[in-house]
Amino acid sequence: MNKAKVLKLAKGFRGRAKNCIRIARERVEKALQYSYRDRRNKKRDMRSLWIQRINAGTRIHSVNYGNFMHGLMKENIQLNRKVLSELSMHEPHSFKALVDISRNAFPGNKNVVHAPRKVALPLSV
Amino acid sequence: MAMANRRCLQALTRRATSLFSSTSAVRRLETPPPLSAPSPPKSLFEARRVSPGLEPSRCPPWPPRARLFCSSKTSEDEEEEDEDGEGGEFMEESDCETGKSSTRSKWDYTPEEREAEAAAIGYTVLGPLERSERVFKLYEPFFAVVQIGSHQFKVSNGDCIFTERLKFCDINDKLILNKVLLLGSQSQTIVGRPTVPDAAVHAVVEEHALDAKVIIFKKKRRKNYRRTKGHRQELTKLRITDIQGIEKPEKTDNEKPVKSAVKKLEKVAVAA
Repeated sequence: MNKAKVLKLAKGFRGRAKNCIRIARERVEKALQYSYRDRRNKKRDMRSLWIQRINAGTRIHSVNYGNFMHGLMKENIQLNRKVLSELSMHEPHSFKALVDISRNAFPGNKNVVHAPRKVALPLSV
Repeated sequence: MAMANRRCLQALTRRATSLFSSTSAVRRLETPPPLSAPSPPKSLFEARRVSPGLEPSRCPPWPPRARLFCSSKTSEDEEEEDEDGEGGEFMEESDCETGKSSTRSKWDYTPEEREAEAAAIGYTVLGPLERSERVFKLYEPFFAVVQIGSHQFKVSNGDCIFTERLKFCDINDKLILNKVLLLGSQSQTIVGRPTVPDAAVHAVVEEHALDAKVIIFKKKRRKNYRRTKGHRQELTKLRITDIQGIEKPEKTDNEKPVKSAVKKLEKVAVAA
C-alpha cells in the first residue's frame, strides 16, 4: 500500500504532484527531506524570534537586548528566552520589573538606542 | 505453536525430574504428569518454585523461556546441565537488565533513587489523587514560571502542559513542581535567583501519551540510499491545579470592612 501512503502525504501539492504517483513520489520524498532538515531549523528560528521579541520589549524601556541579557546573567536569573518573550508579550509589569533588575545589575553603555519617537514637525511657512 | 509448546513441556518434564532427583527437600510430585497441554505447566512451576537454590525471577512464569531450556539441554551431564541452565538463565537476565541504564524500568530503582532522580528533574510525587478531593479550582490571576528537566513553562491555574515522559508517576498522581523561577500576580512579581525558595506548583498527571508520528526520512540522491523511520515521542500531560508562594488576596464579598479592620490592627501594633 505504499502508493496510497505516498498519495496521502501528497495532499495539497500543486498540479499533478497530488494525483499522479510518479510525480507525487518525487515530491513527497523532497517534502520529507525538507521536514527532516526543518525540524532542526525550527529550533533556530524560534530562538531568533524570541530574541527579536525580547529586544522589542526591552527597547520600550530603553535597554537593548544585549545589556538586558548580560544583566540577567549577572543576577543569576535563569529564565530562558522562550519564557522571557512570553512575559514581554503578556505580562508587561513583570517584564518591566525584570528590566529594572537588569538595569540595576548592569547599567550598560551610554549610547543606548531609543525607540524612534514620532514628533510633529512645525510647519514652516 | 502447539509443537513448540509440546517441546517445551518435554524439556520441562526432563528438567523437573532431574531437579527432583537432585534436591531432597521436594517430595511432592512423584512423577511428572502426562503430556496434556493445559494441566501440567502450573503444577510443574509450583514445584519448581519451591525447590531451594532458585531465586524468584521477575519475568512471568508462563510461557516458559523455551530458548533457555533448549540451550541447556545440549550440554553433556545432567548436573552440569542444571547449573549451566540456572547460571545461563541468570546471566541472561542480568545482562538484559544492566545493558543500558536508560532502559531501566521504574521498578529497577530503589525508592530513594526514584526520589533523587525525580527531584533532579524538578518534581516530587505526592501520591495518588483521592476521588473525594476537590483539587481543581477556577482560574486565578497568578502565574508561575516552572522548570521541568530542561524546559520552562509559564503556567497558571487550570493550564495543561505537555512535558517529556515523567518516569515515576502514574495517571491521577499529584505532583509538586519545586523548581519555580518566577511568580507573578496583579500587584507583585517575585523573581528567583535562580529559583524561588518555598514556592510550589501543584499539578495532577492527566495522561501518559505518545506524540504524533514524525517520519524520519534520509536520502542521498543518485547513490541509491533511502531510509525511512517513524518516531513517536513519549509525553506526559499535566494539569496545573495550584500555585503557592505568592500572596493571594482573600476573596470575600465584603472587602471594605476587612481592609479597615486590618488597618486598625496595624495602627495598634505600631503604637505598641
